[in-house]
Amino acid sequence: MAALKKIWRFLSSMQFAVILLVILAAACAGGSFIPQGLTLQEYASAYSERTASLIVALGLDDVFHCWWFIVLSVFLCGNLILCNLIRLPGLIKRTKRSGGKVILGEPTAAAEGVADPNQFFERFGITPKEEKDEDGRAVLYGDRHRAGIWGAWVCHLGVLLLILGFGLGQMTHREYTVYGVTGESLPVGDTGLVMTIDDFRVKLREDDTVSQYTAELTLTDTAKGLTESGTAEVNRPAELLGYRCYQNSTGWAAAVTVTKSGSFLQEEVLCAGEFLPVLDLPELVVLFNAFYPDYVLTDEGPATASGSIRNPGYLYSLYYLDPATEEEHMLGMNVLLSGEQITVDDYVITFSEPQNYTLIQIKKDRFTWLALLGGLIVLCGLVLALYLKPMRLSALREEDGTWTVKGECRKSAPIFREQFEKISGVTLPREQDSVLEQEKETER
Amino acid sequence: MTNAENVLFIAVMVIYLITMLLYFFFVIFKKTPLAKAAGGFQAAGLLIHTAALVLRGIAAGRLPMTNQYEFATCFAWGLCLVSLIFIVKFRFPVLGAFSAPVTFLIIGYAAMQSREIHELMPALQSNWLGVHVSTAVISYGSFGVSFVLSLIYLFREKAKEGGFWDTHIPAREKLDLISYRSVCLGLLFLTLTILTGAIWAERAWGSYWSWDPKETWSLVTWLIYAVYLHLRLRRNWKGKLAAIFAVAGFVCVIFTYIGVNTFLPGVHSYK
Ligand code: HEM
Repeated sequence: MAALKKIWRFLSSMQFAVILLVILAAACAGGSFIPQGLTLQEYASAYSERTASLIVALGLDDVFHCWWFIVLSVFLCGNLILCNLIRLPGLIKRTKRSGGKVILGEPTAAAEGVADPNQFFERFGITPKEEKDEDGRAVLYGDRHRAGIWGAWVCHLGVLLLILGFGLGQMTHREYTVYGVTGESLPVGDTGLVMTIDDFRVKLREDDTVSQYTAELTLTDTAKGLTESGTAEVNRPAELLGYRCYQNSTGWAAAVTVTKSGSFLQEEVLCAGEFLPVLDLPELVVLFNAFYPDYVLTDEGPATASGSIRNPGYLYSLYYLDPATEEEHMLGMNVLLSGEQITVDDYVITFSEPQNYTLIQIKKDRFTWLALLGGLIVLCGLVLALYLKPMRLSALREEDGTWTVKGECRKSAPIFREQFEKISGVTLPREQDSVLEQEKETER
Repeated sequence: MTNAENVLFIAVMVIYLITMLLYFFFVIFKKTPLAKAAGGFQAAGLLIHTAALVLRGIAAGRLPMTNQYEFATCFAWGLCLVSLIFIVKFRFPVLGAFSAPVTFLIIGYAAMQSREIHELMPALQSNWLGVHVSTAVISYGSFGVSFVLSLIYLFREKAKEGGFWDTHIPAREKLDLISYRSVCLGLLFLTLTILTGAIWAERAWGSYWSWDPKETWSLVTWLIYAVYLHLRLRRNWKGKLAAIFAVAGFVCVIFTYIGVNTFLPGVHSYK
């Protein structure tokens, strides 16, 4: 029983919180150094075999989603919930506390034999209230920035909501990618939706740098008979049928035409990186590697002199797939300029109509608002905790007609004491107590 | 880079150098007029620095906060501003002797970067950029201040009684408090930086948090300072351990700023 109690105390303690935060920080730092999401072989070639298997075994290849990272986050949430629950009654009590006995424990500063206590209240911007104590002596008291005591609590609540919103979002969000050229209609994953790219424009500046990518999109839900159109630009996603559609990236596409013995065989638009097996000879495959709108040959290989189509160059490779062994043999790789063609036996392959394709991301995260709310609450909590310094003053009229003034301001004790000394003209002893321990004493 | 901006930039470097020397002399000779002169130079440097940034902003037609040079000079500006505020608010000119060299180092780093003005890629053309980077500048400046204060704290702790550190540097209690206040400002603005960055990332890249190295390191920094705040709440952790965390926090800040772009690829490196 005692052991259980000890464990419980530890799990809800601030020490545990500090340990968790430090481990999480270290894990994040580690995760940023080790490239994430590679395969065992890729790690083995980057490091040694043993390091690679260690990385994979410990989940370091996907630190931010691996089980122990999630367990740590769950522990942090539990720790925060406990901490906030345990502290709630005390906070309510402290918020409600009023009257002449506002300062219960050891004050941050005190002065005796004061002739005019009002100067203290004025200096600290507190309007005093008055009452009589049990002995009929006059008591002045007041406080300021009481809301500040809620800062940490609010901040912790915000962190909780933030983690909750992020976690739920990670578990339930949907994300799809489609890419294509103007006029294409593309299925969106397993949603049954169809994305049509009505138009795609790349706006260039005079110096050929890109100023904006604009995609006109239509999303159709055939099953429900719904359709919605909109414009997606970088920094301005389109909101279609409850999905957010982002203009994510772009690349070059071109039409590849194949003729056989002079007659048309097939034509298809390929995006750079895609390949096309020849219709009646599928062993012959054309891969469209890259496109250079303003082709130049440099020491480092093919390049483009500008972003405009002035001298189109199509980098292609040609493969022969051996049907028996399934091995691929490269037949050649070259850059084709306009007017040039690839000839393989009876087949003639040409590239034309270079155009930009667009890559659209389609997303839905129903918990973004929760994470955002959490973030805003954290911000409010920080302002309350770090910028509202709760302070209290009380002054008791002694029998000789002078006043004893006590002040409490845990958050900014040294400066509070300095100001106190200035008014009273007496130097106070320097004791250095922590906020938490003084507060605990006060609670008692 | 325009000629006027260039002249102002060099003037700023010279003034920051003079400021630094004046603060050094102040600490050594303990003559208050030296501190006043240093403060005056620092304020003048800050004004001219502001003018240089405004000129660059006008020449570029946008906020001058988008590449390594621009951010470095803004970082130095932020540190100069926050340290001046703390020096005045807490009547603490000794801080200048430690923050001025750091400011000078950062502006020196800026001077080594390419100062060409480039057009912005589409993702950077957002109003959030201004808020995101300005809050980062204030946050980094504040953490810079807490860094030097914590270093002073750690040296002060080792000081022999009656020695230089003991007689020239204020009590640890005050150092700790001012350091805490600057961490508070820094953490508040870092939270704003992360929040505005997340909102912007959601619009530009479709995901408000994608564990990009720069994001991750700003979170690491945020966590370290959160730990710092909790350490200060306990008597036996307060002081030295907290000061060590404040120093570590700033090392993270610098790594987030320079290290991430240099060593870790990601969306923030804009290669
Ligand atoms: C990322 C997570 C956390 C953040 C951002 C955070 C933030 C804060 C802040 C800003 C304060 C006020 C500090 C000050 O006044 O100087 C605080 C205080 C405190 N925190 Fe946390 N905290 C976190 C996690 C935790 C956890 C998990 C615990 C669990 C025990 C905890 C326990 C406390 C306690 C006991 C206080 C003192 C409360 C008071 O002064 O009223 N914190 N926290």
